[in-house]
Amino acid sequence: MENVEYDVVIVGSGIAGCVMAKTLTQAGKRVLLLEAGLTAGINLDRNGNFYNYQDYLNTYYNEMAKVPNSPYPDIPDAPSIDVLDIQAISGANSPSTKGYLVQAGPLPFGSDCLRGPGGTTLHWLGSTPRMLPDDFKMKTLYDRGIDWPISYEDIKPFYEMAELEIGVAGSVAEQNGPDVTRKKNYGQDYVFPMEMIPQSYLDHQFIDLVVKVNKEKPVKVNGKPVEIGFTPTPQGRNSVPNKQYPYTAVVWDSGKEELVMEKSKYWDKKENTYKTIAKGEKYEYRPIGSNWDPNTGQRCEGNSSCVPICPVQAKYNALKSLAQADQRHLTVKTQSVASRVLIDPNTKEVTGVEYKTYAVGDSLVYETNIAKGKIYVLAASAIENAKILLASNAANSSDQVGRNLMDHLCLLTWGLLPMKAYPYRGPGSTTNIPTWRSGEFRKEHSAWICPVDNWGWAWPTFAPGSDVSNALAKNIFGKELRATLSDTIPRQLLLHYECEQLPDPENRVTIDPAYRDPIGNYRPVIHYNVTDYEKKAFEVAKDINDQLFEAGDIEDFTAYSLESNPDFVGYKGKGYNFSGAGHIVGTHRMGKSKKDSVVNRHSQTWDHENLYLAGCGNMPTLGTSNPTLTMTALTLMAADAILKKLKN
Amino acid sequence: METNEQRLAAFYGISVLLTGFNPMELWGTGMVEPYFNVVMNQNPIPVVDAFLDTARTIVDRFGDNYERAHDSIAEQLMPDSLYGGLAQNIITLWYMGNWGNEMVSAQSYIQGLVWDAAYAHPPGAKQPGYGSWHNPPLNAPAPTPAAQTKKKKAMPMEEAHH
Repeated sequence: MENVEYDVVIVGSGIAGCVMAKTLTQAGKRVLLLEAGLTAGINLDRNGNFYNYQDYLNTYYNEMAKVPNSPYPDIPDAPSIDVLDIQAISGANSPSTKGYLVQAGPLPFGSDCLRGPGGTTLHWLGSTPRMLPDDFKMKTLYDRGIDWPISYEDIKPFYEMAELEIGVAGSVAEQNGPDVTRKKNYGQDYVFPMEMIPQSYLDHQFIDLVVKVNKEKPVKVNGKPVEIGFTPTPQGRNSVPNKQYPYTAVVWDSGKEELVMEKSKYWDKKENTYKTIAKGEKYEYRPIGSNWDPNTGQRCEGNSSCVPICPVQAKYNALKSLAQADQRHLTVKTQSVASRVLIDPNTKEVTGVEYKTYAVGDSLVYETNIAKGKIYVLAASAIENAKILLASNAANSSDQVGRNLMDHLCLLTWGLLPMKAYPYRGPGSTTNIPTWRSGEFRKEHSAWICPVDNWGWAWPTFAPGSDVSNALAKNIFGKELRATLSDTIPRQLLLHYECEQLPDPENRVTIDPAYRDPIGNYRPVIHYNVTDYEKKAFEVAKDINDQLFEAGDIEDFTAYSLESNPDFVGYKGKGYNFSGAGHIVGTHRMGKSKKDSVVNRHSQTWDHENLYLAGCGNMPTLGTSNPTLTMTALTLMAADAILKKLKN
Repeated sequence: METNEQRLAAFYGISVLLTGFNPMELWGTGMVEPYFNVVMNQNPIPVVDAFLDTARTIVDRFGDNYERAHDSIAEQLMPDSLYGGLAQNIITLWYMGNWGNEMVSAQSYIQGLVWDAAYAHPPGAKQPGYGSWHNPPLNAPAPTPAAQTKKKKAMPMEEAHH
């Protein structure tokens, strides 16, 4: 048993847990942070941090399949999902139990996340578009899904805080598309902390081509011509500081009793205190470099490997936030896997978090302890949060825990451009097509965002390795081989239509005593399918794509089959593959009523006053944005609520 | 009995013809000897020797002239049935850095020739610098009118941005 009582116990050191820990400790609260992954990964000492990170990088170089989790240790006692374990679920293979997840189907869930210090921000791409105002009222506007308990206006100030926390680079002026105006979505004067990441040469080649298509032979939807638009994607990676950006820190104002955006105070990491910028002293936003050396990583260097690892940490990761926590008030326990929350049957308050500490990653022996605080925050990922709650019979009076699991369903299309655009250079995506992010069609089928990919056909075909083996299969060698590759690889174009999946109560995480990990914790059992609402989006998107490829003289190489990807569905006589986006959302949604949701607008569970949930699990619907920014904004809203509660 | 120096020379010479990269490009990767060692360690010596004997004959005869050497290589080295697919494996080794299902080393990944052939760089290494991706690669050939028109169908691409 622990003999220390903390103000707040947080489970998980991903972005939700780290931002929470930073915000609460900077406000003077004592925090215990439990992390399931290895101790080495959280080392904030310069040398230890450097060597550990170089070990990740070296592992990545040596892996044949450079999938999102490939650089990071997979720990038997705290396993991570691996996309290489995804199998088709058949009569003879039901459920599929390969890897960590138990996949009950009918379709396999296609995404992974990382259990370890820093969480999935270690391998995230870093795209940070905000959700659209429409996304918060899907039921009201389109009679689909469910409305959020908050509006865009409610979350807007927290988006600004999240954009400072992550360090977003982007151009507010160039954000466009349906349901976006500068004034409404951002405020006329708002800018991101850093200037936009330059769009790629490939983007410009492709945009020029599509502008011509728009003019000369526009794609048609329901017989009507539609102009395809483009917008540069805001990203959580370091670029050039924006001189107009005024903010310095997100600070708990104890007088106003709320989190505020400060313009004159900054956090001094060495002294663990806020300092005030002297009057007359010029302030400029300072990009946050790597955790081992602040002078490294202040700008993206074009490593083209954001997923799975940024070698210089120019891309944001959660450990950057943790490094700015007030270390005097922070206790971190690693190799400590939360298994249950304990609940007082009379008051319904949480009395502790039970966790198992293992000595080495594959040991079968562990020590069970209980962490105690006034308030508890589960920030262990959508799937792990649901699992812990189900194992504890907690927070589930609505029967919604584990339900409404969602992901973006990525319909990939690929072809050869008529000109060389030179992919495999720069961040994974720097531009997106926002044209179908919202509209009346959302009554009929999913909305989507369509990033233009900078990394060729790597995702669907494992190019360029497959280009080499395909040429060799034709016995092409020598100068001819080099010339073939030099001609085709630079013309590779990949688009992916990230379709919004609606909340479906039958898409869910459950637990089953038959499936446990080596230290006795449950393995998540996943039930997953897609509906005609999403499949119709595949049909419409593919039709638009086919018209675009034809009109743009893009030689189509898109091919869908069960063999190439077990997430294969049929719709109106055609087959489609979709891939997971790594956007694991919705297993403990927030809502207006305790009848149909797990947490309220403050991320506080309806059933237990001192239990909060953080992470993408809180999101009632998905919209078409990469969810990390929205989830971070919700986490800051929750931190604000927790600080208010601790005040009383 | 050959010396390893003789074997290495034959391996280097035939690697030039098999990959389409010139001798200095290959030497500059630092991988000539490591890859020679992989080939020696991963295959029965008699198979390697037979392969290198044929390779040496071709290199002695044609030097690094790919066009002249092409048919001999295609007939005497490339067929899968000969030497257990050794020629293809050597090309894969140079282009991708793997032998079979294993990456040889971190360096073998980083030095993969496929990235040079694509005017790119290995993801996660040899980073070309902030904003470099906004421009065409430094080593890319200037677009020629022929290259731009060769696939013309519905859309005139002559005015493509470059």
